Amino acid sequence: MSRIACFVEKYNFSDPREEAALQNFKQTAEKSGSQFSFLFRENIEDIPNYDAVFIRATTDPLFTSYIVSKTAWELGKKVIDDPESIKICANKIHQYALFEKHGVPRIPTVFLSKDDLHHKKITEIFSTLGKPVVIKAPYTSFSRYVEKAACETSFREVAKRFFKKSDVLAIQKFTPTAFDWRVGVLGNDILYVCKYMIPKGKWKHGAKLRGKPTVIWGRTVSIQKKDMPPRLREVALKACGVIGKGLYGVDIKEVYGEYVVVEVNDNPSIYAGYEDSMDQDIYQRIINYLSA
Amino acid sequence: MLVVSSIGLCDDLHALKPAVFLGSSIKDTTINLTNDYRYLKTGYYVSLHAEILGNQVIPSCENIIDASRTPILLLRASKAKIPTVPFLVTDNVKKIITEVGLPVVVFAVNPFIHEGYKVAKNQSALYRAMKSLGMNYKFAVCAEPLRGELHSVKSVFGKTELADEQISALSQKVYELFRIPLCKLHVQKAEDKAFLCGLEPLKETELSKADLKLISKEIMLISQQGNHIGV
Repeated sequence: MSRIACFVEKYNFSDPREEAALQNFKQTAEKSGSQFSFLFRENIEDIPNYDAVFIRATTDPLFTSYIVSKTAWELGKKVIDDPESIKICANKIHQYALFEKHGVPRIPTVFLSKDDLHHKKITEIFSTLGKPVVIKAPYTSFSRYVEKAACETSFREVAKRFFKKSDVLAIQKFTPTAFDWRVGVLGNDILYVCKYMIPKGKWKHGAKLRGKPTVIWGRTVSIQKKDMPPRLREVALKACGVIGKGLYGVDIKEVYGEYVVVEVNDNPSIYAGYEDSMDQDIYQRIINYLSA
Repeated sequence: MLVVSSIGLCDDLHALKPAVFLGSSIKDTTINLTNDYRYLKTGYYVSLHAEILGNQVIPSCENIIDASRTPILLLRASKAKIPTVPFLVTDNVKKIITEVGLPVVVFAVNPFIHEGYKVAKNQSALYRAMKSLGMNYKFAVCAEPLRGELHSVKSVFGKTELADEQISALSQKVYELFRIPLCKLHVQKAEDKAFLCGLEPLKETELSKADLKLISKEIMLISQQGNHIGV
């Protein structure tokens, strides 16, 4: 019998769809004869008592979740998300450098160092990538810290803000599409396929309404994985292959029939009735992976 | 061998500035020298760039991250038989009092505070330490029992200027494990033994002329030993 700890923070239970997915994981594990307990940060000294750790709290090398992941890894436990995947996925600079090295099809991207924020460099970026460009902080998640800039003034304003935390930023070609493919991958195999629709009049899946703090999200349309285009499958698996063998959500744009990777996320969202609606076996497969 | 440095080194040492290295694709064994290896700062990106190029580099990105997260620093150190004290990661004051006891030394485990620790000798001091290092109890801290005297020492390639045998030996072992060329170590001395407590970046002003000479000497030594950086 495998004892699985699911590391969560309070916010993981604030959305009923996420809470339902967490309960689905628990029920699936228990049906398979495994123990499944929620582990909160006040009990992380209990990690040695488990066989596997499944992290659902947001991951980043600076968050408690990294301490949980690395502790479990050092103790020889099975871990989703493993520390190496967190290190690469939480830093998009690391990720894009690996994509470039391994020839993963991706959105045209250049890196900008803090010392290079000057007129000549900004002009060069606009002439290479066109206007507007997308400025991305390496620690982006849930569509945050990704902003558009169409002129030098707004470029400088956004870049200065993002440079407060990171000394290098990623600048990408603005590539608007009606939706992003979201491909769930586990252990080099496709887990689920969705379309994350972009809200009308917006350019990213989660967008703020002008002047309001509320974030609106586009619809999630689930597709049966057997129906996914073969090239989409190939690109998704190639992108994950350079990162590791864990659980990932790959964002891919379809541009004139070509598939280009936007980013690979560790710790992908799994909401009941969304990512799982066509492929209900995702819970079982993740539990099997953790208890193997 | 390539030396990338953000600090002014001795004249006899040829070093590349981080910005020049980040824009290059030089393939060579790399020593990344900076007083500040914090995650997402230039020092981190220098090691990352070297790793992507396939260069052997000290310090590695993994070690930069792990050494700055106190619970991971202590876990890996204790696995490598480096003396450490037991620690508890929590945001609960009462748990620290019952499970660790007082006096206690508290290190921050949050994304915003990268340096410093606080010693609490009584409950109200512990509440104050948790409030400040845990950012109003929002984040966990790493609590360690204070059993002796706390020392903060500069480590330059594992060498310290302190003439204490145990602390010098500990500093060398920490360097052999994490390969952080320049850092500050927090060490507890109790029962005539030295225990590792924490590691944090140095301020550039903390590097003396003697330290810069030591850096030159160590780099010469590495280069004489066939660029073996122990990765």
